[in-house]
Amino acid sequence: MSDSATPDVTADDAARALADIDLVTARVRQSRIYLLTSSALILWGPLIALGYAVTQFWPSKAMLIWPVCHLTGLALTTRLALRTPGERSRRNTLTVVSGLLILIAFGLVWSVVLGRMGPREMSAFWPMLFMLAYTVAGLWLGRVFVALGLGISALALAGYFWAGTWFDLYMAVINGGGLLLCGLWMRRA
Amino acid sequence: MAKANETIHQSVRLRIMAALCAGEPGDGGLDFTQLKSMTGATDGNLGSHLDTLARAGYISVEKSFVNRKPNTRVTATRTGRRAFADHVAFLRGVIEGNSDAE
Repeated sequence: MSDSATPDVTADDAARALADIDLVTARVRQSRIYLLTSSALILWGPLIALGYAVTQFWPSKAMLIWPVCHLTGLALTTRLALRTPGERSRRNTLTVVSGLLILIAFGLVWSVVLGRMGPREMSAFWPMLFMLAYTVAGLWLGRVFVALGLGISALALAGYFWAGTWFDLYMAVINGGGLLLCGLWMRRA
Repeated sequence: MAKANETIHQSVRLRIMAALCAGEPGDGGLDFTQLKSMTGATDGNLGSHLDTLARAGYISVEKSFVNRKPNTRVTATRTGRRAFADHVAFLRGVIEGNSDAE
């Protein structure tokens, strides 16, 4: 070890080194967030697409498929959180799962109890609720989350007005496919 | 008072240690490809700096096969984390003008 050797370090050198450290630290943290989020998006994308596809072709099964999709997604996300290496990271991921539960509870209160929405409104409301969370989280986590949140929300709104009777199939592609594609992109980023 | 650490102060090694210490102990560290992208070093350059840090006892390098492909996993040791923290304290000290390096 060469701890005892003391290189000449000026204040400028030190400032540059600290800036370098900050940059690398931020990059590593972002890459870990992307990796974890990408796994969650890749897992939720197909579940959401399945939910919308069933709603489109077998509307009477919608009340059955959505709880199944959400519970499966929550169970798999919890498993993912518990397998995250590192105590602090695991705790943070479990906090995200708690956030998901709060969003689902909020969504149920408004879509079923207070809002009394129709099937089409429900199909637009749920993705926009989750995308709102992505957009807000993106203010801290990075622009890609904001882009994902706003992009899917805008497309959901457009579909609500213009996709006609194929709205749920459109949402399967836009929402399920959007989450999956974004997850795959984050994995490579 | 904190002292400069010549092993860590070299720019690529500083980036390697910063990347490895960005996570928490027990998080599995980073693999060679991730470190390459974080530090901007070439394969050979990174390998040689990893050797230096491993010889100093600052990192541990584990080679294995993942999906039949060779995988090199690098983690910061406890000694490495402490040395890195001391070096960061030294750098802050230099900026604040109370280090013995200048």
